[in-house]
Amino acid sequence: MRGALALAALALAAAALPAVAGDYHVGVGLGLLMYVALTQSWTVLSGMTGYVSLGHVVFYGLGAYVAVLLWGEAPLAAIVALAALAAFAFAALIGLPALRVRGPYFVILTFGLAELAKYVVIVVEGWLGKFSRVIFGAPDIETLYYIMFGLAAAATLMTFLVRRSRFGRGLLALRENEEAAETVGVPTVRFKLLAYALSALIPGAVGSVMVLRQTYFEPAQIFDPVVSFTIVTMAVVGGSEDMKGPLLGAAGFVLLSELLWANAPQLYMVLLGLLLIVFVLFAPQGLSGLLPARRRTP
Amino acid sequence: MTLLALRAVSKQFGGLRALSDISFDVAAGEIVGIMGANGAGKTTLFSLIAGNERPSGGTIVFDGRALAGLPPHRICRLGIARTFQIVRPFGGLTVEDNVATAAMFGAAQAASPAAAAERALAVLALVGLAERAGDLAETLTLSGQKRLELARAVATGGRLLMLDEVMAGLTPAEVATMLEIVRRLHREYGLTILIIEHVMRALMQLAGRIVVLHHGEKIAEGPPAAIGADPRVHEVYFGAAA
Repeated sequence: MRGALALAALALAAAALPAVAGDYHVGVGLGLLMYVALTQSWTVLSGMTGYVSLGHVVFYGLGAYVAVLLWGEAPLAAIVALAALAAFAFAALIGLPALRVRGPYFVILTFGLAELAKYVVIVVEGWLGKFSRVIFGAPDIETLYYIMFGLAAAATLMTFLVRRSRFGRGLLALRENEEAAETVGVPTVRFKLLAYALSALIPGAVGSVMVLRQTYFEPAQIFDPVVSFTIVTMAVVGGSEDMKGPLLGAAGFVLLSELLWANAPQLYMVLLGLLLIVFVLFAPQGLSGLLPARRRTP
Repeated sequence: MTLLALRAVSKQFGGLRALSDISFDVAAGEIVGIMGANGAGKTTLFSLIAGNERPSGGTIVFDGRALAGLPPHRICRLGIARTFQIVRPFGGLTVEDNVATAAMFGAAQAASPAAAAERALAVLALVGLAERAGDLAETLTLSGQKRLELARAVATGGRLLMLDEVMAGLTPAEVATMLEIVRRLHREYGLTILIIEHVMRALMQLAGRIVVLHHGEKIAEGPPAAIGADPRVHEVYFGAAA
């Protein structure tokens, strides 16, 4: 109950931000909501199934590319929806072979896949004679902020619902022991694939919004592996065992990076690494796990 | 009525022939024991029936349906449940959730989480784990995890229960308890049971019929008394009589 109230207060504050703050702070808020949406989505796959994706930027990048190609051809809402669907479909397609490997192999595979996609897009853009694209007439930041707010809320709700569903129970079972799960009737192949595709859906939409914010598309910059690393770090620091974790992780990191970029930019990556080590060693359940929690009922 | 029929089932791992030409039937309501030294292919046989491994040849028919090529979760829903000799609990879930998951996804397909939990608690009471329902499965002792394996298999609601050495590593008192549980599952729940056991006395007491495997081949099949007197079985277990 207190959790629901806190969540409602947060949502209200986020919704009110553009009315009370200037463009700079709305930009920071946009970045925060972006990482909430990405990290919540990521936990649906990696938190629930234990298949850790180190290449989630691929869905973000794909969504951005879809948006750039369609900008001016379709209305904004349709572009965001199509970007999400493209990422969903792509994940469903590559998931079937990718999810056959587990543990570190899956981690490396997802990372490699994101890099591969980046270079494929670079080559395709080269053929088309485009080395970067500028977007004209992009929506203003407030519009983008509210879309991102919707995406962050949707991702948080999705995490919440999946955790409580029969589907979520099946995912937890296969995370704990895949062979035992399928032997008690969990359709592991289908469930993993659906989790993967669901975890890609909103990141695709997020990519489309962010490229419109940047008004500029350059594949190497959009398919930036640091986005994938940041998602994983936020999930580790915040915790990925419930929907609180990504909220805490994203908030903590965005605030930290605001402070550091302004005062000691060279320290940012150093601190990122240090925090990751400290949390993995001393608080594997993340910030969320450190809170005085009620009994965990997975 | 024949519930399970194996015909010329074989399994090849690369150049190794783990099972060759295995045929036998299990009638509904029977308890059939599987006996054999380590490496005889007993667990592989379970894996083939449950779909964890694909047979290299032969047919397995359960309740009139051919199982070859079906994935494990489909076979489970048709009504075959197995335990693992090396226990595989969902360690990070509670004992109750372990069993409720089986009730949700297995042949029973519990209609709601509440129904699954109710079923889970009933089965946990049967195996004597009711007090541990709220604890994480990884905190159970080996004996507890063996009983959890059994509870999870039973909760799927399958008609054929395959028990893979559920008594190995237990104390004599625990073995006696487990024997009683298996008997009740047979009598009160009407389950058909296929059981692998090294605890010979247990197998002799429980099984109406025993199949003996040796190096992947079936060397004998019959009632416990006949198996106990079979010279081929003696040869395999104790070496040839002088």
